[in-house]
Amino acid sequence: MGRPGLNRRQLLAGLGGVTVAGSLGFAALGTGADALASGADTRVRYWNLFSGGDGYNMIAMLDSFRRANPDIDVKDSTLQWGSPFYTKLAMAAAGNRAPDLGVMHLGRVTGFSPGRLLDPWDVDLLAKYGVREADFNPELWKRAVIGGKLYALPLDIHVQLCFYRKDVLKKAGLLGDDGHIVPVTSVDEWFDVLKEAKKATKKGLQTIGMWSSDQNFQWWFFVAFYTQLGGTWFDDANTEVTFDTDKATQVLEFLRRHLTDGYVNPGFAGGAGAEQFVNGGPFVWEGNWSVPVFDGAKIEYGATPLPPVFGQQATHAESHSFVLPHQADRGGAANEGAHQLAAYIVQHAQQWAAGGHIPAYTPTLSSAAYKKMNPQSEYVSAMDHQATEPKVWFAGSTGILAQRVGPIVVSSTVGSAKPDAAARSMKSTLTELLASKNPMDGRTAAQGGAVA
Amino acid sequence: MTTTSAQTVITPARTRTAADTVTVRRKQGFQHGAWFVAPFLVLFALFVIWPLLRGLYLSFTDANISGDATNFIGLDNYREALDDPLVWESLGHSAYFTLLVVPCITVLAFLLAMLAHHIERGKWLWRLCFFAPFLLPSTVAANLWQWLFNPGTGMVNHVLGIETAWLTDKSYAMLAVVVCTLWWTVGFSFLLYLAALQGIPAHLYEAAKLDGANAWHRMVHITLPMLRNITGLVLALQILASLQVFDQAVVMMDFLPGPEGSTRTFVQYTLEEGFTSYRVGYASAISIIFFVIIAAVALARMWLLRNREEGGR
Repeated sequence: MGRPGLNRRQLLAGLGGVTVAGSLGFAALGTGADALASGADTRVRYWNLFSGGDGYNMIAMLDSFRRANPDIDVKDSTLQWGSPFYTKLAMAAAGNRAPDLGVMHLGRVTGFSPGRLLDPWDVDLLAKYGVREADFNPELWKRAVIGGKLYALPLDIHVQLCFYRKDVLKKAGLLGDDGHIVPVTSVDEWFDVLKEAKKATKKGLQTIGMWSSDQNFQWWFFVAFYTQLGGTWFDDANTEVTFDTDKATQVLEFLRRHLTDGYVNPGFAGGAGAEQFVNGGPFVWEGNWSVPVFDGAKIEYGATPLPPVFGQQATHAESHSFVLPHQADRGGAANEGAHQLAAYIVQHAQQWAAGGHIPAYTPTLSSAAYKKMNPQSEYVSAMDHQATEPKVWFAGSTGILAQRVGPIVVSSTVGSAKPDAAARSMKSTLTELLASKNPMDGRTAAQGGAVA
Repeated sequence: MTTTSAQTVITPARTRTAADTVTVRRKQGFQHGAWFVAPFLVLFALFVIWPLLRGLYLSFTDANISGDATNFIGLDNYREALDDPLVWESLGHSAYFTLLVVPCITVLAFLLAMLAHHIERGKWLWRLCFFAPFLLPSTVAANLWQWLFNPGTGMVNHVLGIETAWLTDKSYAMLAVVVCTLWWTVGFSFLLYLAALQGIPAHLYEAAKLDGANAWHRMVHITLPMLRNITGLVLALQILASLQVFDQAVVMMDFLPGPEGSTRTFVQYTLEEGFTSYRVGYASAISIIFFVIIAAVALARMWLLRNREEGGR
């Protein structure tokens, strides 16, 4: 074969042609083809992070919306939850390719540069579709408002629960006449309960699974019990760290004691805790999303908020909420469709509650259908005593705060650091974070970082 | 990047006679060859050189993930990196992993290759067994070992009759990642060794046998010296690949940095800074530092190899 008769100029021209043709082709795939396929007038692109049982429930809710609104084509995409999701959402918003509707953890909204990466909700438009501030727990709504504007529409709260096996507790004499666990109001009472439960537990099983080496769970438990003690993080102006190392030490000692007293087997840390519970372990502290898992395992169990061992009720809560990722030209039918879709799902969260989540929309929460759900009705009170991370730019689910402080809590729980030393280390990390600048706008929490 | 530098490293010294004689033909050959390598060069420039330069620029800025509000801050990121305990810690984890994996994989690959080379019955089956895991995606291999190491139901503890918290105890977590990596990647080095073993001329062994050399002598005086080049290649590729360990560790630890951060590798820390903390400028700076370290390792190896070759002449 001879040498190809191609000079550089021809090659460049050829490549250019291919590129143009290719991008036109992709553009057609991205928009025209979809619109043609559905025949709908409006198309709402919606990104979420729900997999597993949550994913199944979300898709069922989307399908019922589609049936009720055939003129709106919902194009939903499910992405890997956690940091990868937030990275994609941020980059899409920054590159002006944002979807019309997205989901975020409420705690992350403050750090997600409201005004630059997120657009505020049109409260009047939401009201048109039946969603008003009065229909939400005030604390929850307040967390979604930044700089006077609503940036997130809460769908639920999800909390850490104390799951218990009714069969084992009955044997141990720890089940009340109502079929629920006996009330616990102090640290001593809690460890007495564990002691009795341990006696009734089959050999080879641990008494309680509590994710002893998981940085997220241990951090969430810390937030819950620290809030029970009335602990605070920063002052109102976000200039000073008010973190109380004595209270923190108390909490860390409490968590640690589960291991030193032999109720937690470090070998069954992580997801193995739930496995032990299904096999007959009396207790596990897990997220409410485990409800479908334990339902599926056909075991006799109940679930309460984390025990109020320090007197005051408080359990860690995060919230899935709807957001409007920033679009330079937000408005029009797609934007209205996004409002309509979010409002619909918030109001039809009965299905969502089957996944264990507590609906944020109070009419659903107080409905007879919801009250009949079990064990959901046993822990619904968690809506009124949410323990949350501070409202600063570095907080929120799998965010910087959890990533930096979580491992310190773990090091104390598993015994590689002393509780009081860990508490001091937490405080210095908090001090460092409070002084650090939000990379999004170069301002600290005190300077209103990320609030445009 | 790794393969490229590794390839440069391992290119055998060209025989001078052939190269020097026909300069004209060589020039023509270059013109023809340029067309063949052009597609690669374009992609290399587009996806390696350009991002590298871009990363270098970003490392002097405070860029965030959204790409706006970027300021030039000089060497601040580098200064911060040197004082950042997590930089050193994660670098230590990557180095620890490399120190464990490289010798193990080299010895293991050699032994398996010897086995597969000498065994007569079911040769193909052995080769398949040793090489097959390498064909799996890292996520599959990592998930598989996550199950095997599960303290409650996993096979590892069951078979050994122990109760070790492999994935949740900081003293064992990295070892678990190492075991997974050995199983998953040994096949590649095994294949290199096997090919090299098959390339050793049989007459060498015959001559040695006639001279009365026993199996041990034949191994020490023929096999090992004949495999010296391939051992150098295996070591180089493994060191460079192991320093960049990331995916299997991340998947085995459920996308977290392991118990008390004990499996947080340097690549993972870079990812965290860039994509969780959104500090693209800082992440660029530490990845440039890492690039320099890896390049230094590759150059050091090349230098050592050259010295050895010259010494041997």
